[in-house]
Amino acid sequence: MFDYYVLSEGTVKNETGADGTVKGFSMKTRINYYRGIPLSMIHDLEVALDGEKVARDAVKFTVDGVDYFTPDELETVTSMRWEFGEEATVFVEKEGGLPAGTHEVTLFQTIRTEYIPVPFIGERTERVTI
Amino acid sequence: MSNIKRGVSLYSLQDQYARKKMTLDEIVDFVKNSMGGTGIEIIPDQMLPGSPCPSAETLAEWDRIIEKHQIVPVCSGTYVNDKLYKNRLLTVREAAANLEKGIHLAHRLGCSMIKLVSTTRTEVVEAVLPEAEKCKITITSEIHGGMSFNMPYVQDYVRLMERLQSPYLGFTIDTGIFCRRHPRVSTRYFRLLGMSNPYLESYIEDLFAQGTDPNAYFIAHPEKMGEMMEKCTTELERLYLVYSTGYDNNPLTILDDYMPYVKYIHGKFWEMTEEGKEYSIPYDEVISYLKGKGFDGYINTEYEGNRFTPPGEMIQEIEQVSRHQKMLKQLIEG
Repeated sequence: MFDYYVLSEGTVKNETGADGTVKGFSMKTRINYYRGIPLSMIHDLEVALDGEKVARDAVKFTVDGVDYFTPDELETVTSMRWEFGEEATVFVEKEGGLPAGTHEVTLFQTIRTEYIPVPFIGERTERVTI
Repeated sequence: MSNIKRGVSLYSLQDQYARKKMTLDEIVDFVKNSMGGTGIEIIPDQMLPGSPCPSAETLAEWDRIIEKHQIVPVCSGTYVNDKLYKNRLLTVREAAANLEKGIHLAHRLGCSMIKLVSTTRTEVVEAVLPEAEKCKITITSEIHGGMSFNMPYVQDYVRLMERLQSPYLGFTIDTGIFCRRHPRVSTRYFRLLGMSNPYLESYIEDLFAQGTDPNAYFIAHPEKMGEMMEKCTTELERLYLVYSTGYDNNPLTILDDYMPYVKYIHGKFWEMTEEGKEYSIPYDEVISYLKGKGFDGYINTEYEGNRFTPPGEMIQEIEQVSRHQKMLKQLIEG
């Protein structure tokens, strides 16, 4: 619906853990819809790295940087909201993160909502050089 | 001169809000002081965090903004979230409990009306009506392109209104049900994303030229939708075709029987041209019809061209809303 919100420009980066090693990479995303929703209405989240989908359980979503949920876990999260315009973080667990070089990272965001008969998908690709 | 009142649905400026270019206060200021609008619609889920139960701070800020700009909160765009769970639809009681929260919020915000999507189950509406009446909140179902009078759920709602005879039930009419042409900004957008199917484009345009629209035509000829889907070679073309069923081409007279229930108008638009006209919707006809019927409620601008702005281009909502408001002012006061 508003695919330009799916992946915020210039936000793909490697994430370093407390022990100084790179634990994966992350990106910022706004909701591909015109209003905020409970997290359980995020029907699916998928990430592709250089055209290859990454493992489902490696994808973690957080709106507050405290509580992280995999796409399957999001199904039951009715007590937290993702507000319209709010940049949430998608973290992808990957030892060593994105290797040096240029990569294409694609985020697929699927939202389920009333009156739209089937969940609708938004996607956006960012090219990033590490 | 007429008694039609003019305002803006804040949805029109959602991108300014999402990208934090304008605050809610600045958006309302723009409506009141730059546009001369006297009313607003808000979607609480969009601009009031924590809805349907925003914090005391958020509500205090709302009160301050309304007081400062002396603007009328006309309508609250309210949703049931009946697909909260992946594995089932909310029951009627669960959905009604959600909707009651939305009604209480609308009341707290000072609105006199809520707007629901027209697919909202009538059982849910009936269940919350006593609470709405108590709060003096009118429930309206939005008659929208692709979800209009020709849909069974809208006819269910008409029967509900006829049976209950409550002054607190009615319609919001979205003027996207009066499209004489397919919005070309949609075509441009899909082309820029890579669509290349002139046959599909002219097929859709021809339906409008023949006085119908894709939605009505495919309802009357269900096999044609399948045929056209077959002719689409990419997901993008199929999406374009599906989107095209969201613009109806009705005569204004479709409202004749329903005017007693019409509480509010969404002044939908996708593209205001350089000449100050909406590309698809004949606003001169719309306003003239409403004047003729003595309509004295609000028409609020609802800019939906934002979704047809290709990534990387700036959304021109300030300019577009300004042109739309200027046109409405001339037509209403003329």
